[in-house]
Amino acid sequence: MTQAELKTDLVAEYAAWLTGFLPNDYYERYREYRWDIGLRRAHQRAAFEGGWLQPTWAPEHGGRSLGLAEAMEIRLEAAMRSAPKLPNVAGPGVAAPGIRQFGTAAQIDRLLIPLLRGDEWWALGMSEPEAGSDFAGLRTRAVRDGDVFRVKGRKIWTTQAHQSRWCTLYARTDPDAPKHRGISCLILDLESPGVAIEPIRMASISDETFCEVILDDVEIPADSLLGPANGGWQVAMSSLNHERQMIWIMNWVEIQRGLSSVRDSQATHDDYASGEVFAELGSLLADAQALRATGYRALNNELAGRPSPEADILKLLGSQTLQRVWELSAAAAGPRSIDDTDLLFERQDALAATIYGGTSEIQRNIIAERLLGLPKG
Amino acid sequence: MDVGLNSGQLALRDSVRDVLRAECPPATARQAMTDPDRWRTVWKTVVDLGWSDLAVPTADGDSSFGRMDLTVVLEECGAALAPVPLLSSVGLAAGLLRLAGPAVDDVLAEIGSGVVAALAVHPPGHRLPGVPMTLQDGRVHGRAVAVPGLPRAELVVTLASSADGPVAAVVRVGDGVTVHEAECTDPAQPVADVEVDAQAIAIAPVDLESALATPLVAAAADLVGVAGAALDRATEYAKTRRQFGKPIGAFQGIKHALADNYVALERARGLTYAAAARLDDPATAVAAGWNAAALAKAAAAEAAVGCGRTAVQVHGALAQTWEHDMHLYLRHAWQGASTLGDSRALYHAVGRRFVGSAA
Repeated sequence: MTQAELKTDLVAEYAAWLTGFLPNDYYERYREYRWDIGLRRAHQRAAFEGGWLQPTWAPEHGGRSLGLAEAMEIRLEAAMRSAPKLPNVAGPGVAAPGIRQFGTAAQIDRLLIPLLRGDEWWALGMSEPEAGSDFAGLRTRAVRDGDVFRVKGRKIWTTQAHQSRWCTLYARTDPDAPKHRGISCLILDLESPGVAIEPIRMASISDETFCEVILDDVEIPADSLLGPANGGWQVAMSSLNHERQMIWIMNWVEIQRGLSSVRDSQATHDDYASGEVFAELGSLLADAQALRATGYRALNNELAGRPSPEADILKLLGSQTLQRVWELSAAAAGPRSIDDTDLLFERQDALAATIYGGTSEIQRNIIAERLLGLPKG
Repeated sequence: MDVGLNSGQLALRDSVRDVLRAECPPATARQAMTDPDRWRTVWKTVVDLGWSDLAVPTADGDSSFGRMDLTVVLEECGAALAPVPLLSSVGLAAGLLRLAGPAVDDVLAEIGSGVVAALAVHPPGHRLPGVPMTLQDGRVHGRAVAVPGLPRAELVVTLASSADGPVAAVVRVGDGVTVHEAECTDPAQPVADVEVDAQAIAIAPVDLESALATPLVAAAADLVGVAGAALDRATEYAKTRRQFGKPIGAFQGIKHALADNYVALERARGLTYAAAARLDDPATAVAAGWNAAALAKAAAAEAAVGCGRTAVQVHGALAQTWEHDMHLYLRHAWQGASTLGDSRALYHAVGRRFVGSAA
């Protein structure tokens, strides 16, 4: 059996599993099911048990020890089949890889399985009122006091903190070190005394609600340190890097949905103005194909042990394309776009894509400085 | 999906790059603009090294050149602005004949040996490539515009309509083939219009979309090369040119423009490699192959023109001079962008197919 056939068999097995899980009317009623938290929770649990949640990981951690290439096939298949979105992406997508890479045996033992099953949700305690793109400028302080860290500070834009049990909290532990080197990552139990969580109303109907998290003399046990003391920067970069490899696939599937919506609304009216949509549509089809080709190219380079600089364009290209595709969808719908609240949500949600996980401006700085070798400003 | 270069192709790329660096610095293109025979010495090297053999498709399982290798070599020639007819003869003309069967074997062997051919597929008044000629009783008749490399060519490859459907047809430059040469955007790669009323030396029925897919990918590879080289030049300059007490590349106005160029370049490169790999895979459906090739060409032209324009901006007034190389890149990019369909026309065609309407 060739490698290609093996891959196809695996994808077919996954597709059969997913079809078996989903309700029969899933695709007809996708507009409702996409908000169905019960279904999305059940899907995560089933994916964990079936070994499809983190395909490269061992079976006890929700995987089946696949290679990177096979795992990408599975993720793309999931995307193309509009598999239910994880209800708490920050958990499996960002916190779990960090715990797996940096966690102690006791931390992994306590935290990983409930996270992967979706029984305990996670928030990422990164942004602060005065530390957004300049993450390393964060001010929340954690001071070691015997067996605990005493923590004071404020986190903001902390998605789903009000629904989460845990938070990867980044705090300054060495105020005298250069700013990147004085940060530690602590695992915070959000039920601890001194933690106050205020949800923030979102501009859209998104269920990924922001919160403000106020930490007023919170005690965190010293053994809750994730990774080395003052090594928080590495933990953050490594966790986000894992997320970045999946962001383009998430963008890609949303782009596919957007392209289909353009096609559908084109079919509903035929006045001459529709023709000018085609060129922008072709350009967006190129973006979508380029994302996929570049994702594969970067993966092949990684597998061959070569540098994969092209991976750094995926976030920037994917997020910008996503915004353009929904704008085109609105144009193609004409005045019908006004009372289409699903479309409104897509447009609003797409605006976040060029902000989260490193803004487009930061991505451009990374490309210019790291890949092109231009000097820092 | 296999879309990257393998280690053999990376080695091929490096060896082509090394040869061109020694034999063909960018100034060569400037010399070729005024010296009509300057291209011949470079071309001799290209033929002696066997790059023109890429014209001849090899049987499956052969370890030698496929379309992916052609892509690699054309990208490097584009980057070097090599004033040779490798793209026009081997990439475009031979590329069109690639699937035309045994009737064109002798023609492909000729092109492989270094005889220069040109591809005439622009009917007057059309933005997209098409069928400019008719075929009757073995004679090719018609007119085509903007034929790349025609002033240097001995053979003209074209598409003609016939009673039995579209054919690829080849005529020899000579009696009945009138070349209308005029000034052009990139005199290092001269183009000309052609009028034909001549006996075909080879005829083969073709599927139009399959036939045009390889030339589109070849044109894309050349433009990806130009884009990458222009970006390299702009980046190097931005690191060394100082204003306000620091390198201009430290300012985000420059930095972000070049980062966007890099995205455009890698977008185009990914599409080009993927399209080439798709064409090398016999399982690819015809329409999917054409779409992939058209998007690659559209993206590559955008990248080349975009990188060229930014490079001029970054170099400032210097780039407005004849002696500076920047106009060479942009001339090549602009001319290539208008060959085989401009980006908007290609995007439009693919977008329209996607919607599936005949509007």
